[in-house]
Amino acid sequence: MSFALAGMGAVASIGGNVAEIFDSLVSGHSGLAELRGFDRSKFRARRLYEIDDRPAAGKDVPLRATAWLEQAIAAALADAGLGEDLSEIPVVVGTTLRELRSVELMYRDGTAFDVRDLNFGRMLRSRFAAVHTETVANACSASLYALALGTDLLALNEADTVVVAGVDSITESTHGLLDRCYPKEPDTVRPFDRNRRGMLQGEGAAAVVVRREQDGPGPSGRLHAWILGAAANCDAHHPSAPNARTIADATRQAHRLAGVRPADIDLVMLHGTGTPLNDEAEAAATAEVFDLPTSRSPLMTAIKSMTGHTAGASGLHSLIAAVESMRTGIVPPIVGLDDPVPAVAGFRLARRVAVHADPVVAQVNSFGFGGLNAVAIVEKVA
Amino acid sequence: MTRASAQVVVTGAGIAVRGRATPADLLDRGPVDTAAPDPADTLTGRGLRYKDRATRLGMVAARAALADAGVLDVVTPSTPDDSFGVVTSSNYGNLDTVCQTVRTIDEETYLGTSPMMLPATSSNVIASWLAITHGLRGANVTVCNGRTSGLDAVRRACLLIAAGRVSRVLVVGVEPDLPEVRHVVGDDGSVALFDGAAAILLAGARSAAASGTRIHAGIGRYAKRADAADAIAEACAGTGRIGLRLSSQETTVDSEVHDLPAVLGDAAGALGVLQVAAATAWLGGGRRAGDALAVCGDDGATAAMVVTAPASFPAGPRSRELT
Repeated sequence: MSFALAGMGAVASIGGNVAEIFDSLVSGHSGLAELRGFDRSKFRARRLYEIDDRPAAGKDVPLRATAWLEQAIAAALADAGLGEDLSEIPVVVGTTLRELRSVELMYRDGTAFDVRDLNFGRMLRSRFAAVHTETVANACSASLYALALGTDLLALNEADTVVVAGVDSITESTHGLLDRCYPKEPDTVRPFDRNRRGMLQGEGAAAVVVRREQDGPGPSGRLHAWILGAAANCDAHHPSAPNARTIADATRQAHRLAGVRPADIDLVMLHGTGTPLNDEAEAAATAEVFDLPTSRSPLMTAIKSMTGHTAGASGLHSLIAAVESMRTGIVPPIVGLDDPVPAVAGFRLARRVAVHADPVVAQVNSFGFGGLNAVAIVEKVA
Repeated sequence: MTRASAQVVVTGAGIAVRGRATPADLLDRGPVDTAAPDPADTLTGRGLRYKDRATRLGMVAARAALADAGVLDVVTPSTPDDSFGVVTSSNYGNLDTVCQTVRTIDEETYLGTSPMMLPATSSNVIASWLAITHGLRGANVTVCNGRTSGLDAVRRACLLIAAGRVSRVLVVGVEPDLPEVRHVVGDDGSVALFDGAAAILLAGARSAAASGTRIHAGIGRYAKRADAADAIAEACAGTGRIGLRLSSQETTVDSEVHDLPAVLGDAAGALGVLQVAAATAWLGGGRRAGDALAVCGDDGATAAMVVTAPASFPAGPRSRELT
């Protein structure tokens, strides 16, 4: 069963829409900058991939994530040619941290915040008249998990159109705890590089309009790609360390749902966070499923070296990058990957500069805390 | 948006509520004994220190539901199940960790924090520990959806089964009553907040019947609408007599009414699961005349769900559970 990807919208540190973001990715432009929203004196890691929309340096405001989610959904609806009335269209939002940054500002500084805005439902109702909203806090795989849940609504004929989105702003609690965990503060995100030091968070949102295959594109006539399937499982292993075996299971499940074999995959958007734990487990699972280095490797890349880890939005950010790569024939490079770790031996990685290719089927990986694994397969429109 | 969940049944239920031992006790309208033992204290073993209160309450309720269904010793970390999913619902579950951490950073910089707290900054931490504790490797979903969240979670669990992603789902609704939660909800101490968890175990009707599992209740129609009356009317369409209505909302439905928050406090994201657990107990395996109706929401959206007696769930072809 396929689903039509009829509209896309996104915002990140490297761009305010899909075209800007993809241009930045292709040119190797990173959104990494000095800490803007937090008091720098409280942290050792003082660089992040923030969206630069605060009123002044060091002055933080609530509801930034809500604003990006609204922006990304509005853009996706406009792209699909749909109006902004979502009273009959389900909206599934994936997120790691909801509006917990606003909670922090309220708790510590006394900033005004209404708890009814914690999960985005009020904004979705007031801006889009949405009723059938569902926010799933599924850690860093949340938006691809949301895609799986959204396509289930289509497959079960609960709806003919769904909006699937992902969003996250960075919380100080998560940033501080990550800073505390790494032996040395990460200077940048270096996926699969021997000199990686860990992950740095990024901010952003992404949204897609997805329709049943028989309904085809929306009123705009735009058909970006076919979504062939989205798999979802759980390691049931460790609260933060991933597990290669179940990642491989999720990958095979995605291939099964999509009706493809490993050899059919032309491009893999790796989760690639630059943490040893993720990168080693992901590399082991990928090597197993694709029989590497024995068999021919699909082209692979990872975008977090430029966007940072956009958490609940990251799965859809990668998916949108995959769709744009298939449309343009240009695959963004893994910036910061100079000296690959042994685990990726035999992987055909896009390095240093963008690669010209003609991928037709792409796999998108997204993994999160709690061993939450989601893998999606997308196909170029013929 | 109302068809959802035919053919999913409840095979177990359990709770972690101070002064209430089993789901049947949820039907008790008497005041809660605040001096009763804390259900979270019934957990023993290593690693509890770094599990937040919501996680511990959720684990207690989950253990009771799995035991009620007779599967507590069947599915374990050493015998994990790829087709056993988890859906949790909570709005305030990890506010304590987030608030405490930002305060610690403010006072002592990042160096004052403990790395062990990192997993609980992510709002899926409850579902994560449930999966780890019981070896549940299927789809694992944390619904944080405001006042309708509990019924939304039950409905999402039904969809996971109907879509063929899993054959069984553990559904847990939980909210902790903690100082950080009271601060964030803007409470001055005058509001009673629920502190506890409810869990139900759901399975596809045919596979449950085929395996000989005892079926406590069936999940009927779900509806979500901006207007409460519309949601209730849609959920009840085609249903026989409603014998018990679990809701605070005024309706024209003529039935016995049991308003759980009036007894147990504002249950926020836990309420829907608590209601289905109570409905399951009320139905008592088919002794009652009529079905139960659960309703939760606010002025923005209301969700309603019918819980049916075991024998009355329809045998339609919608589920793909056996394919």
